[in-house]
Amino acid sequence: MWLETALAIGLVTSAVFAIYLKETVASVLSLGSMLVLLSLLYFSLNAPFAAIFQLALGIGTVAIFLLAGDTLTKKSDEKTSSKTKILGLFAAVILSIPVIVGTVATQTLTREINLSLSSALWDLRAIDVLAQGIVVLTVALGVVFLLKEERRRS
Amino acid sequence: MDYIILSVTILGIGIVGLVTKNDLIKMLIAVEMITAAATMNFVVFGSLMEDSLGQAFSILALSVDACVTAVALALAVAIYKKLKIRDVRELSELKEEPSEEENQMVEEN
Repeated sequence: MWLETALAIGLVTSAVFAIYLKETVASVLSLGSMLVLLSLLYFSLNAPFAAIFQLALGIGTVAIFLLAGDTLTKKSDEKTSSKTKILGLFAAVILSIPVIVGTVATQTLTREINLSLSSALWDLRAIDVLAQGIVVLTVALGVVFLLKEERRRS
Repeated sequence: MDYIILSVTILGIGIVGLVTKNDLIKMLIAVEMITAAATMNFVVFGSLMEDSLGQAFSILALSVDACVTAVALALAVAIYKKLKIRDVRELSELKEEPSEEENQMVEEN
């Protein structure tokens, strides 16, 4: 219980700092730490595949993309003052209180069938997976063409 | 502790960031936060039902999320290389004003 509470507080705090900080690199690092904590939360919810995917895509891909984007489009960042940081921390603590204390009444869900991840992916969502493969390849080709076209023009 | 409130809190922080920030990278960070909050619900409800369908959906959602980020960043880099702009307010100021002929045509119609 204490681990989940600590993860929730960490998630809210890093989310607030990712939006609140003025330096883009610090914001991306804060987002990265939020995604790592989210991955740990998935592990604690007994969802290891989602956790590994979150870790790989969240940190390995998205954070690197954002850092690369920031480097390629460099602008002069303002510095966040320590007073603003303390205010952000205070806002994060206040936002964490309803997460820890509050409860929402949810109906207990019961299912007879226990699916494994592979059967859930390939038996139930096979067309989705294949379509998604095509989407990912199309996106990769699109991004390459977009950047190549820009390079050719410049 | 309730995961739905956690998810709603992160979603709210992301929406506030998307509305208040003008920097393209910061807006992408906010979008990333919103999708993370939405994906969390798949895993939480899948965990409550004790089957792997929620994990399967979350994996599909995460892949789409990475694709969205890649395309948006490529567009941001392309815009920056062409116009040297990272602020969306400056982008909206680039909208071309209608010429006098176009104004006359609109008045005639």
